[in-house]
Amino acid sequence: MKFLTSLHILVLAFIISHDVKAKNQIVADLSQENVKITTDFLGAKILLFGAYDGQKGDDIIVVVTGPKGLVTVQKKEKVFGIWVNTKSVNYINTPKYLNISSNRDINKILNQKTQKISEIGLNNLKIRLQPGKKVQKEKEWREALTRNMLKSKLWSLNENSVSLNKNALFRSYLSLPSNVITGQFEVKILHYRNSKLISKELSTINVSKSGVSAEIYNIAQNYSTLYGIFAVILAVLVGWGTNLIFRKV
Amino acid sequence: MYIYLPIAEQPIHSLAILGVGTFLGLIMGLVGVGGGFLLTPIMMFLGIPPPVAVASVANQLVAPSVSGVLSHWKRGNVDFKMGTVLLLGGVVGSSIGVVIFNFLGKIGQLDLVIKSSYVVFLTLIGSLMLSESLNLILRKRKGKVSRGKLHQHNWLHGLPFKTRFRKSKLYISVLLPIFIGIIVGILAALMGIGGGFIIVPAMIYLLGMPTSLVVGTSLFQIIFVAANTTILQASQNQTVDIVLASILLLGSVVGVQVGSRFTNILKGEYLRLILSTLIILVSLKLLTDLITIPSDIFSVIISR
Repeated sequence: MKFLTSLHILVLAFIISHDVKAKNQIVADLSQENVKITTDFLGAKILLFGAYDGQKGDDIIVVVTGPKGLVTVQKKEKVFGIWVNTKSVNYINTPKYLNISSNRDINKILNQKTQKISEIGLNNLKIRLQPGKKVQKEKEWREALTRNMLKSKLWSLNENSVSLNKNALFRSYLSLPSNVITGQFEVKILHYRNSKLISKELSTINVSKSGVSAEIYNIAQNYSTLYGIFAVILAVLVGWGTNLIFRKV
Repeated sequence: MYIYLPIAEQPIHSLAILGVGTFLGLIMGLVGVGGGFLLTPIMMFLGIPPPVAVASVANQLVAPSVSGVLSHWKRGNVDFKMGTVLLLGGVVGSSIGVVIFNFLGKIGQLDLVIKSSYVVFLTLIGSLMLSESLNLILRKRKGKVSRGKLHQHNWLHGLPFKTRFRKSKLYISVLLPIFIGIIVGILAALMGIGGGFIIVPAMIYLLGMPTSLVVGTSLFQIIFVAANTTILQASQNQTVDIVLASILLLGSVVGVQVGSRFTNILKGEYLRLILSTLIILVSLKLLTDLITIPSDIFSVIISR
């Protein structure tokens, strides 16, 4: 099934590519634009594919950015023999999901300065410290943020993962881990020639909770007291029920 | 089969959870204690965030407690008057506990407090149980089994507001069971336990209740303390995962029933020996997690 869809996509992309050639642009599509977190959700793998008007040596970089917000970095220290969270630093405007993919090492595609200006790379994000707090050795905290986000698989850097075909087609896989945050994900596909941006395409992925799991979450958030009472009634009924069943056995 | 937990926001193997629930239900049925105080740490070992583990285990505890009280009631082993006084204290205590829980969450020390309270209590309970069961085994080998002391009078019995508890054949101050209830309630809310392992010895040694009434009466008050904790955790902290609790309680109610059928076949002191070893192992694992250098001293919290 997966093979068939991929093949289908390739044929389709090839047809589109003829159109693309004429206009010097890039077109892209996703195998899935709406990701639903249901009771059997274990993460998602999305195929990103498309066509571009390319020449030999052209590069493609794909940047997928999830919703941004507050991320707290905590530091543990040993207090009376026990490791305790003693200090914390808040980062605002931090993407809670980030995936950077490219067809080869980004340093070979763009120089450091261009990477910085176009916010490409894990250290070039416009993440800010929450104002009002002085932080010593900020670099250490910022590195800890990157390291932990990479470890949780919410951030990823996949150089050499975009495959190019005949200077016309590209494809890449995105993986969303099971602990992914819901919201709008912005997909940016950038086409470079000799480090110059030739064309780009924007798209979005919507991640939302769906089905029973979403209902439960919403009820727990919006009708929290009723939810608690219901949880108790359910437990009482099960306890009483088993007593009835086992009495007869 | 994996199932996505809506509040813990992560998938988990449903059979593993069902198995853990059944296993602990079995212990509960066999020994009479051991539901919450082993279940919550095991949930944490399986990767459930401690706040969700604590609140959901409180929820699941309601079911085996209801089921247990019903069978003890039939045998006339519940002192409802004493239970009601205890639960009044318990409800106050668990409400205080949830407020503390909320506060600790805000200052980012909740995990630490939950884990270290477990280390303290599990070590205490585990070693007491271990020495008690070893003693009993040794004494039985020598052929001497002494009866435990009947209750003694001490200063605690001199407190005001004396009330008669007919069923328990006691005439004691009502303040004492209320106070015990409050302490157990706080711990129940903070640790996701019913508090049976604290309240049972307190009832025997501090109140001087007859042993036959202790388990039924403590289960009776646990229902209300656990129910109060569940509702407050749900409304204050939104940490009750009903899916997790449901799977756990299905396993545990079956386990309890099966376990209670085998109590006469297996020897109590050997069971307690096994259980106490298990408790000490869990507490050691928690302790090592707290004292070994973490692989990364930094961690991140992503606000939802």
